[in-house]
Amino acid sequence: MRNTVSARKGLVSRVSQYNELGLLAVAVILFVVFSAGSPYFLKVRNLSNVLGQISLTAIAAVGLSLLVISGEVDLSIGSLQAVVALPLLIVMNRTGSFWLGVVPALAAGLLVGVINGLLVTKLKINSLIVTLGMLYLLRGFVYFVTGKVPISDASNNPVFFAIGNGKLFGFLPIMAVLMIVILGVFIFVLRSTSYGRRLYAVGGNPEVTRAVGISPEKMKFSAFVLCSLLASVSAILLASRLNSANHMAGSGFEFQVVAAAVMGGVSLSGGTGNLVGAFIGVLIFGLIQNGMGLMNIGTMYQLVITGAIIVAAVAIDELRKRRG
Amino acid sequence: MNEQKVILEVRSIVKEFPGVRALAGVDLTVKTGEVHALVGENGAGKSTLIKILAGVYRRDSGEILFEGSPLELNSAHDSLQKGIKVVFQELALIKGLSVAENVFLESFPLRKGGTIDWKTLNRRTREILDSIGLDLDPTVKVSRLTVSQQQMVEIARSLSHEAKLVIMDEPTSALTPNEIRLLFDVIRRLRGMGIGILYVTHKLEEVFELCDRVTVFRDGHRISCRAITDTNTNEVVTDMVGREITTLFPRTHSGRGDRVLSVQRLSTQEKLRGVSLEVHAGEVVGVFGLLGAGRTELAKAIFGLDGVSAGEIAVRGTRLRPGSTTHSAHAGLGLLTEDRKGEGLVLQMSVSQNMTLPSLREFSAGGYIRTRAEGARSQEFVDKLAIKTPSLKHKVEYLSGGNQQKVLLARWLMKKLTVIILDEPTRGIDVGAKVEIHRLIDELAKGGLAVLVMTSEMPELLGVSDRILVMSAGRITGEFSRDQATQEKILAAAIA
Repeated sequence: MRNTVSARKGLVSRVSQYNELGLLAVAVILFVVFSAGSPYFLKVRNLSNVLGQISLTAIAAVGLSLLVISGEVDLSIGSLQAVVALPLLIVMNRTGSFWLGVVPALAAGLLVGVINGLLVTKLKINSLIVTLGMLYLLRGFVYFVTGKVPISDASNNPVFFAIGNGKLFGFLPIMAVLMIVILGVFIFVLRSTSYGRRLYAVGGNPEVTRAVGISPEKMKFSAFVLCSLLASVSAILLASRLNSANHMAGSGFEFQVVAAAVMGGVSLSGGTGNLVGAFIGVLIFGLIQNGMGLMNIGTMYQLVITGAIIVAAVAIDELRKRRG
Repeated sequence: MNEQKVILEVRSIVKEFPGVRALAGVDLTVKTGEVHALVGENGAGKSTLIKILAGVYRRDSGEILFEGSPLELNSAHDSLQKGIKVVFQELALIKGLSVAENVFLESFPLRKGGTIDWKTLNRRTREILDSIGLDLDPTVKVSRLTVSQQQMVEIARSLSHEAKLVIMDEPTSALTPNEIRLLFDVIRRLRGMGIGILYVTHKLEEVFELCDRVTVFRDGHRISCRAITDTNTNEVVTDMVGREITTLFPRTHSGRGDRVLSVQRLSTQEKLRGVSLEVHAGEVVGVFGLLGAGRTELAKAIFGLDGVSAGEIAVRGTRLRPGSTTHSAHAGLGLLTEDRKGEGLVLQMSVSQNMTLPSLREFSAGGYIRTRAEGARSQEFVDKLAIKTPSLKHKVEYLSGGNQQKVLLARWLMKKLTVIILDEPTRGIDVGAKVEIHRLIDELAKGGLAVLVMTSEMPELLGVSDRILVMSAGRITGEFSRDQATQEKILAAAIA
């Protein structure tokens, strides 16, 4: 009935605004706690470090959020971190050029995205299974190629070093600049373009989009490709930070990215969420890891606390939905 | 039936939600052994009252007397305990469990040790099913039943609780004519057992076939309560809409133009067997068929939602690529789907976003959506179709059925179309909104569109169509001009 409707609407919109504010509040509280808990936390150098660290996760989280909004998921982005670094380092070590290495690196990411996308949209296999399989397959591939020995950078290419380690004005990591640009572009894409609108519609109800002449398969395929490409960008940055192609690179990264995005309100059922929320999710993760490290909290406690925060955040989200 | 007692008495119930008075002091009485119809347009307050009786909402003021004593309900469990069973449209069954397990879900018969007494469970379920004339195996899983059988299981459940009042909310909306007959038999048996039934519906023909009395709600007020024998459809409709509806089918368009849609020998794997038809500009062609005749399949196949195995479809001479909705949409074809929630609305999105989904290109430059243009256009159609929504940004999920349907219509009206296919355009919406939609169909034809209307409602078919095609078992079995068509001829062709 109309009347119950307006009552409900008020509540939903109020609480959902509250949700992002609530997440932000969590971030602020963590910030305050760690400032009090460690004298090093508020140092420019440390904050600059945090910013760098979250850039990797945030860039991958942008791509993953696009895909999750379209109603699919990609767990292979962790293994992809190791895969993408291989052609990058191999070509760079041969040619000495960073940019010549970037081309096959992105091509490798593109290829994985295309394969994931085709398996899901053409063969109609569940994306969780496809990309879980790909997670193992790619990691195995990297073990095979590297023989579990990292390929170090022998080119001493200054650009390669700078993108992962350089800072503007002495504190702003170049990685963070890249993150801000990517975040900005895709916030715009999701909010204000017809591509973004269609992505939400496909995730919300793929049958509807088909019935209005939009192909859900094409939309989802494009999201798989974007997700892989953005994960490849973060892989290149990670390679620069590690100064090598490491067979263990990005292990467990996929769950961190998914958890951060979901915590930020990007629902795994598709069609809802936004990048601002996803970014705050990433920020919370970054603060926890950095702060707990500085406070010398043992690894086992770190794991327990991280897990508890993920479950709590998702539980809050669920309660919010139920009240709506 | 001769000694009817009042089982439920509702006195001046008021329920307010922020900004709206859903119920402004309504009265209602239901007697034992009576089927009492509650009718009213969307927003009249029917659902609010049901939810209060089910213990979902709490009333602001007023009294409920159940079997003569005041009733306080704090939860759905309370109302079930007291003997009130509500069968909602969304059935509350556990699909993975058996019929018997569902019937006795809240009160399994137990053996001494606390384990379930399966023998008694199945036997008592069998008894209950027999008592309402149902031939169902108690051990079969609910997921394997049809919607109508599942509904029967819900009703059987009320008997396991010894319910004295059963409330049904639009129980026939998903049923075929045969299933409806079966449901009515069951309801009559419940009545025979002395159970009071509150029957909430949109369909007046059901009221007159099944019910003993009818109460009409409008805008949160009770307008009338009459014995069925003392009233007629016109009187009830007038009470519902608050004015007399003179023409249910306004008709101003005339004359037809060029042939714009042509379908030749269209077949699909499952249903269609060589269907050919033509629709001209400015013409409304109605397609009638009983359930399973292939109406929806035809609509979907023409639009490209389903694949076709043979045949050709052309819009203004351009052959459509079979199975490509993108191409069909591009060629100027639009389809209003029958399944509002499954294939129509994106529930999480706003009214405006739902409307503009197929026509985003018209509001965007290089992929950038010009929000202001989009808003202005959406507002134009909200006004034009009198869509009741608090704002354009309101989630479409929270609109009433009739208004949701109008949003879907607006979606296609806003796009420049050549042909529009409307599959059951007025299913499940109330009389007032129906007339508005019929007026729109007329306007579309007047504006030069070719309109193809799939419907199972005879009055609608005869009212809106210039030409009528009848389908049966995937074929066209009859074609009538508006003047030739009679109900008898159409039905004869439909069962051919």
